[in-house]
Amino acid sequence: MNVGVDGIRVRNLQKRYGNTVALAGVDLDIRPGEVLGVAGPNGAGKSTLVRIIAGEESADSGELVFNDRPWTPTEDWRRVAVVHQEPQLFPNLSVADNVMVGREGGGIGRPRLGASDAKVMEAFGIDRFADSALGDCTLATQQRTEIARAVARDAQVFLFDEPNSALTDEESDELFHEMHKLAAEGRIVLLVTHRLGDLCEHAGRVAVIRDGRIRTILEGQALNEDGLAQQLVVDSGADANAAHRGNARQDAVAVVTVADWTHDNAFRGVTLSAAPGEIVALVGVEGSGARELLRSLAGLEPCSGAIEIAGKSGDAAMRLAAYVPASRLFSLYSNFSVGDNLLVRLGKPDIAGFAMALKRKRMRQRAVEAISRFMVKAKSISQGVRSLSGGNQQKVAIAQALNCAPRLLLLEEPTRGVDIRSKREIYRLLRDYAEAGNAVVMFCTEVLEVYEAADRAHVVGDGALSPPIAVREYGHVEALATDIIRMERHARQGD
Amino acid sequence: MTSADSRQTASPDASSPSLASAGQATFDLALRMGGLILAIALVAIVMLILKPRSFNVDVGISVLRAMSSVAIMSLGLTLVIVVGEIDLSFGAMYGLGANSLAVMWIVLGVPIYAALPLAIGVGALVGLFNGALVTWLRIPSFIVTLGSYNLLYGVSLWITRTSTFNPVYPPPGSEIPPAELDFFTSLTASVGAHPISLEVAWMIGLALVIGFLLHRTLFGFRLMAIGGNPVAAQLARLPVTRYKVIAFMICGMLAAAAGILDFSFIQTAQPNIGLSYTFPVFAAVIIGGASLSGGKGTVVGAMCGALLLAELQQGLALLTPGPHVQQLFLGFVTIGAVALDLALTNIRKRRAA
Repeated sequence: MNVGVDGIRVRNLQKRYGNTVALAGVDLDIRPGEVLGVAGPNGAGKSTLVRIIAGEESADSGELVFNDRPWTPTEDWRRVAVVHQEPQLFPNLSVADNVMVGREGGGIGRPRLGASDAKVMEAFGIDRFADSALGDCTLATQQRTEIARAVARDAQVFLFDEPNSALTDEESDELFHEMHKLAAEGRIVLLVTHRLGDLCEHAGRVAVIRDGRIRTILEGQALNEDGLAQQLVVDSGADANAAHRGNARQDAVAVVTVADWTHDNAFRGVTLSAAPGEIVALVGVEGSGARELLRSLAGLEPCSGAIEIAGKSGDAAMRLAAYVPASRLFSLYSNFSVGDNLLVRLGKPDIAGFAMALKRKRMRQRAVEAISRFMVKAKSISQGVRSLSGGNQQKVAIAQALNCAPRLLLLEEPTRGVDIRSKREIYRLLRDYAEAGNAVVMFCTEVLEVYEAADRAHVVGDGALSPPIAVREYGHVEALATDIIRMERHARQGD
Repeated sequence: MTSADSRQTASPDASSPSLASAGQATFDLALRMGGLILAIALVAIVMLILKPRSFNVDVGISVLRAMSSVAIMSLGLTLVIVVGEIDLSFGAMYGLGANSLAVMWIVLGVPIYAALPLAIGVGALVGLFNGALVTWLRIPSFIVTLGSYNLLYGVSLWITRTSTFNPVYPPPGSEIPPAELDFFTSLTASVGAHPISLEVAWMIGLALVIGFLLHRTLFGFRLMAIGGNPVAAQLARLPVTRYKVIAFMICGMLAAAAGILDFSFIQTAQPNIGLSYTFPVFAAVIIGGASLSGGKGTVVGAMCGALLLAELQQGLALLTPGPHVQQLFLGFVTIGAVALDLALTNIRKRRAA
């Protein structure tokens, strides 16, 4: 035993959700004074680890030690502060009240700001906003308030969870400056982010999590973006054949074309097209504009420019597109059965006839057909949709969109939080649908997904599209990961 | 099309295993309705034991008559609650419906045949007003309809100059043609050996129409979807705005209709009628199993809720234990129904887990 070592020691931490193993025995040492980066693909266990250290959940087994004493974060949560991309504070209260709330003391009068609190606020440069309502402040100020609040209650552990995805470059520089200050004062700092560049620049060591285990810890010379990008996908069982790459009919008339497609603030002058049978991936981190671009193709973001889908233009074109959001909270209707969820986007004449009367027999048939066609594992079409597994819920969400026979399918992270088998089936569904003469555009944050599902990829950075990457020409996912990270770096340096 | 249809009809869908087991939602609904019907029967049995002589067909009929205006309004409120909004203004709309008819017909001399659809039209306009403010200006419906409750009552006071109307005794200077008076009273005339007001027939007819609309049409299907997940409905480009506005309009029209029917039956209209219906109608809809968070609610449930309330009211009036008991019962039944519902759901979830 290395007695007297400060910091957090994590030993053999395990956590399951039902049949899914989130953490399969994590060992990790986090030392005070350093910034430890944590990287990993979605669903690798990254957020579970963060939630356990933050005391938001408890592990099934394993050992947590803080400064050589056994530690239970769920009880001793005051030591830990999480800086989220969306600050979780009280927007109706002033900045000063936010710093103070939770430590008001037991007095009967209205609590007042102590001298030490005022000093902390000054140190973080938020004293001049002390009396403004937090909701009126910028996101950067809100995050500083979140940090100041934690410093004021003397938190020792700071978890930065995708902290800068919605910040400007300047704001995120300032945020990282504060982060380094916290570390320099001897606090424990964890940085969890998808932005590999930030990890290399700001973390001393980066732990890579895959399949619920720490696979490697990169530091020094080995810590660079290419190395990280490869570590995220290596041994992932990536299987290009699983995707059944089709032959996109490049010579055929494109299903969708947009030109000079410009959004108020997310992207400008984008040109994009997709041939029948083609699956196009837009790769980008949060805040890159990729998400907005995808949604704009379904008419959900106001844009200027020309759009044409299957020979129609403007709003009529966008009605031929169907969009599936990343979160199933925004695609499924929990008050509806599986069958009704599958049919909810349909209208006349598919499920209703004269006087809008529902064709109930036809609805049952269509629902039963859809369940088998889209490989949804359900006991019955009248089962509640929330009782399905995550993977099957996602299939219902995608099937719901496909059921209204769109020519262009728009997906956001189509396999987030989905088990490996459902993932394969979902890729199969997308391929079959594309082969029938349609096009798929999806927004991805994972290289693996691009490799397994897409024919072509574009990196979106700073509101512009990179040149195309022909995914099928890559024999190894590592090579694709390297090229994508280079393009992302290029896009960042572009401005 | 025809060939595809016949092929699919031929497929043995009824014997398919995926259709055999009933869904959880259906089961919950059956439980809720079973409980309600049990409560209705229980109240009847208690009455039979306590007051055997008052327990006859005529009392039953008077319960049905008494519930009809609450029931008609609860139909409209069900639609608004299913789509995830709230309407507090229907009680005032009930009054404005009756009073605007009275003013047009009795004071201004508009023939009843025109005044009647016009008064219903006022209900539609008020619904449009509510719906427009809720959807286009994004003001919460609680606030919009709290405001329009007062607005409508104000308009009722204004157009009636705070007076009471009775078409049989029109104010000096106005005259009601007897044919029009006959037509108006015949709307709710009592018929049959055990006289039953036609208002009950209106209630049943409207319940069938709204029940069809909510449970058997695309409109109702989408209304449930929008109420269940408004964000998803927006992203799927369902007509969220239009459907919400239509729900408010139907609610306004039904409230006007309820006011007019009661006016026809009671023969008098005053500016303040209907206001006290606000909470009983809400209670009927909630007891019937609708959820204020939207996406849940049935016409049968609302009707049973209204029936239970009217039964309690009539029964307690016969027992004459004092006016406080009726209010206490209304309170207990409303909270009790929802509490029981939650308890049963929790037990079921724990069993399933």
